[in-house]
Amino acid sequence: MTPGIQSQGHAASVTNAYKIYGDGESEVRALDGVTVAFESGRFTAIMGPSGSGKSTLLHCLAGLDTLSEGSVHIGEVDLSTLNDRELTELRRTQVGFVFQTFNLIPTLNAYENIVLPQMLGGERGDQAWIDEVIAAVGLGDRLTHRPSELSGGQQQRVAVARAMASRPQIIFGDEPTGNLDSRTGTEILKFMRAAVDEHHQTIVMVTHDPVAASYADRIIFLGDGKVVDEMLDPTAERVLDHMKGFGE
Amino acid sequence: MSIRSTALMARKSLRARLGRTIAIGFAIVAGVSFVVGSFVLADSLKATFDNLFAEVNAGVDLEVRAVNEFGTNASRRDPLPDTLVDEIQAVPGVGMAAPFLQRTAQFVTADGELVTTQGAPTFGVSYSTDTELSGLVLRDGRFPEGLSEVGIDKATSDRERIRLGDAVEVITDAGRFPFEIVGIVSLGNADGFGGATLAVFDFATAQVVFDAGNLADVISISVSDGADIATVQAGITEILPPRTEVITGDQVVQEAGAGISSVISAFGTGLLIFAFITSFVSAFIINNVFAITIGQRLRELALMRAVGASARQVSRMIILEAFVMSVIATLIGILGGIGVARLMIAFFNAAGLGFPPTGTTLLLRTILVAVAVGVGITLASVSVPAIRAARIPPVAAMRPELGFDALNTRRLLGGVIATSAGALSFLIGLFVRPGGNTGLILFAGGGGLLLFLGTASVSSTIARPVTAFLGWPVAKLLRTPGILARQNAGRSPRRTSASASALMIGVALVSAAAVFAASLRDTFVRVLDRSVTADYVITDSSFQGLTPDVATTLRALPELSAVSPIRGAPALIDGERTALGAADPAALGELLDLDLQRGGYEDLGFNAVLVHQDPAANLNLDLGSVVVATFQNGVSVDLTVVGVYADAAVAGNWLISLETLEAISPLPPRDFFVVAKLAPGVEAAFGDSAVRSAMEPFPQAIVQTNAEFREEQEAQINQLLLVITALLLFAILIAILGISITLALAVFERTREIGLLRAVGMTKRQTRRTVRWEAVIVSVFGAVIGVVLGSLIGVALAIAVPDSVIDAVSFSPSTTVVILIGAICAGLLAALYPSYKASRMNVLEAIATE
Ligand SMILES: Nc1ncnc2c1ncn2[C@@H]1O[C@H](COP(=O)(O)OP(=O)(O)OP(=O)(O)O)[C@@H](O)[C@H]1O
Ligand SMILES: [Mg+2]
Repeated sequence: MTPGIQSQGHAASVTNAYKIYGDGESEVRALDGVTVAFESGRFTAIMGPSGSGKSTLLHCLAGLDTLSEGSVHIGEVDLSTLNDRELTELRRTQVGFVFQTFNLIPTLNAYENIVLPQMLGGERGDQAWIDEVIAAVGLGDRLTHRPSELSGGQQQRVAVARAMASRPQIIFGDEPTGNLDSRTGTEILKFMRAAVDEHHQTIVMVTHDPVAASYADRIIFLGDGKVVDEMLDPTAERVLDHMKGFGE
Repeated sequence: MSIRSTALMARKSLRARLGRTIAIGFAIVAGVSFVVGSFVLADSLKATFDNLFAEVNAGVDLEVRAVNEFGTNASRRDPLPDTLVDEIQAVPGVGMAAPFLQRTAQFVTADGELVTTQGAPTFGVSYSTDTELSGLVLRDGRFPEGLSEVGIDKATSDRERIRLGDAVEVITDAGRFPFEIVGIVSLGNADGFGGATLAVFDFATAQVVFDAGNLADVISISVSDGADIATVQAGITEILPPRTEVITGDQVVQEAGAGISSVISAFGTGLLIFAFITSFVSAFIINNVFAITIGQRLRELALMRAVGASARQVSRMIILEAFVMSVIATLIGILGGIGVARLMIAFFNAAGLGFPPTGTTLLLRTILVAVAVGVGITLASVSVPAIRAARIPPVAAMRPELGFDALNTRRLLGGVIATSAGALSFLIGLFVRPGGNTGLILFAGGGGLLLFLGTASVSSTIARPVTAFLGWPVAKLLRTPGILARQNAGRSPRRTSASASALMIGVALVSAAAVFAASLRDTFVRVLDRSVTADYVITDSSFQGLTPDVATTLRALPELSAVSPIRGAPALIDGERTALGAADPAALGELLDLDLQRGGYEDLGFNAVLVHQDPAANLNLDLGSVVVATFQNGVSVDLTVVGVYADAAVAGNWLISLETLEAISPLPPRDFFVVAKLAPGVEAAFGDSAVRSAMEPFPQAIVQTNAEFREEQEAQINQLLLVITALLLFAILIAILGISITLALAVFERTREIGLLRAVGMTKRQTRRTVRWEAVIVSVFGAVIGVVLGSLIGVALAIAVPDSVIDAVSFSPSTTVVILIGAICAGLLAALYPSYKASRMNVLEAIATE
């Protein structure tokens, strides 16, 4: 798959997505009829107040969770048609994921963590690409160190690199910079931005931070499980203004 | 926090960690059950037999018998003339005097099948018309009368389907006789007697079929109504010939009970050793599980400290948890032990041992030991983790990494000291034996325990490199799951070594037994090979010895050039009980090679003796010296030493001629075994068929060639090893359970990590594999250390026993291979639950776990 083809069409989309927890009195609509698509080769941020359904949406998109109603597509594939094995395979090859914390296996060193999905699949991976990703992470000789010997920022960079290493259709990040100081956070955001600009990687990132969101090409605003607004080519100030409007 | 709040916290924690509670509970229950089971089994059997003897002898007021020089039931007594019966009957106050005979008698069924017993005796007994005196209860038919009627015990009748009216044969030392089954009897309320068979005749018939002439073994007496037993006893004493005694029925019961008691106690003690080993292994598991869960509760415990709990309260809470758990588990264990005992009795009965209906005897002593074991090992196991937990600083609530230091201590030094001290004490116990057997048990036993504890502790130091080494092929073969398995195994060396140590102990004991058995076997085979020059060895199937007719029949064969029975008799020499062997001096030189140092076999004439060099040196004997031997009937003989030999394996320490023995003892002769040599020029196949067809009238005789005999001896030692392994299986199973629990806890701890792996694309199968092979690496690690340590222990044991028993150390590579394969299987078994748990983990929930 070349970046040229990826930049056309949607890397992922949800249609009429509902995610309902509990029933009756205690029913919670974490997703309440969401339809949204993510274009290939673009960096999208998802924002919204706590409890608005951001993590839920991301989990469903990444095949970690299933919808109550509606459909999810990664590329051309409808996730509801996949069994557990195929979903696992999809996660390994088509999707990357970066969590807020605890992204790395403590017993593996940085390099092994990066190529973990390929190792799991028993593949060599695209060595040239992996070398490129690793070079971009800029860990140098710390590549053979265990996560416990890396700083928080270095750990998150390794996590992003791991997500990129298999050249997935799309990378999801759930507050990947949420646990970092602003300088280290900026480092990661620049790294992700570069992945989109230079390698046409598609990235979807949940964040509460207007500065972080301003690195994206587009922002989707969620509220009470619905898409409430959208902003293209955001800047930090515009996002802040927007958020004041929504009272977050 | 008050005590009440501590108790509340402890209770909540027990309930919240139900899985862990059950796992620890199980380890305690298993250890306690085995201990209690051993005691209850032995006590119940003792009580049962005591009751049975009392019941069988209920009608016996007095008994007349020959005096035994060596005390109560040390060996068989000489028979008495049956004319004594009438003389006793004439004593005032005697109600009934009845003679009894007991010999061996084997049934042959109507189909011509010999009834065998797997080693239990085959009794032939006479009964008295006064059935009160013989203790036999008629269950069906009638008591036999005359030369064609026999009775049989109910257990054998049931087992062998021998029914009333069946035409059977009975083989005794005097020959083979046709009989009809006319009665089925039991001994008191017991259908059978530990798998023995019983053939019952009237007394006159018994004298004929046993070729007992006018003899009786004992005379049982009931006194007439109103007569005083002591007076009658005194009256009988007056008319008794010398070396004859009259004892009360109570004494008969008591002696019989004491006789079987010592057998049951030995058996119970044997079981108990394995029960304590099992408990020891349980202690490891309990300790490890507590240590792990305290690590997992680090934040919670730190939080308790942060909100004001004192260090003592933290450890008190943990100890209280353990205490409550152990009390409940001990109670369950006591019930379980009763179940174990009942199960074993049922098992023995199914195997044809036919125990009498057995009650359950639970003594206070048993309960006390159970509590000491159950509560004791738990509190001992938890003390160290509890003290460590108290050291967790409150700040660990926010920064857990600061708390782990408190949980880790330097173990290497203590471990090395414990290992060395244990090994030293073990060796002192074995080789120096301060204070005899007590010293042996104290030093070797205590040293062994310390050695295991020390090794377990030291092994945590080598856990990382060794598991890395063992995991190398796994990592190569299975790639990522293998790599992860290997790294997980080396991740927490203390924990890995602790869960492997439980298995290590079981494996070490099996390995030690294996080395010991292999050495014993090889030495034995070497000795037999050298010392038995005979071509055939004829033994019997029930360890009662053979009728002398076997040797007589073989002597008549022209195909054989030399035949000798080997007989034995207990005797007192220089104040010490010993056994004298007896053989035919004319044939001996051709059949056995005793490694004669001085003198010659042919000199072994009447009242001459060959002696082994060790007693010869001790008693300063040489050719021409005279020793006095006293036999069980009080006869003393001057024996002249005519030879000194160096190999005691077959003949024992003393060897006299058959002629000498027969002159001393009027006991019916029984041959332990018979050895025979082919005449020169006779082909083996030809000789074989001649010997075997000559032995056809003696189905109880087992004919073996020299090589077959050796193989059978080897097989018996192998079987012993198998029994030891089977008894250790309980401990090994608990060890496997321990690995399983540890792993399940690790899986729980790594929830987040496993979730992450699943999220980035690890399949369920790969997840299962990772856990499974971690278990295999851990258990193989335990097995490897166990094999090494156990083999060293085995070598020490083999060196410690006298050279006449083991003269060179041998190893058993096949056992080691089996152990290692077994360890892999144990790992796979242990991983069943944790790997299932890991693969079933919900990815989303897992990554949401903090
Ligand atoms: N397993 C669950 N059971 C019940 N309700 C749930 C569950 N998971 C999430 N919810 C609810 O669904 C809603 C959306 O949750 P979600 O985690 O997607 O919010 P979020 O936008 O990621 O919030 P935050 O910014 O705090 O991370 C919330 O109201 C939450 O309480
Ligand atoms: Mg969230």
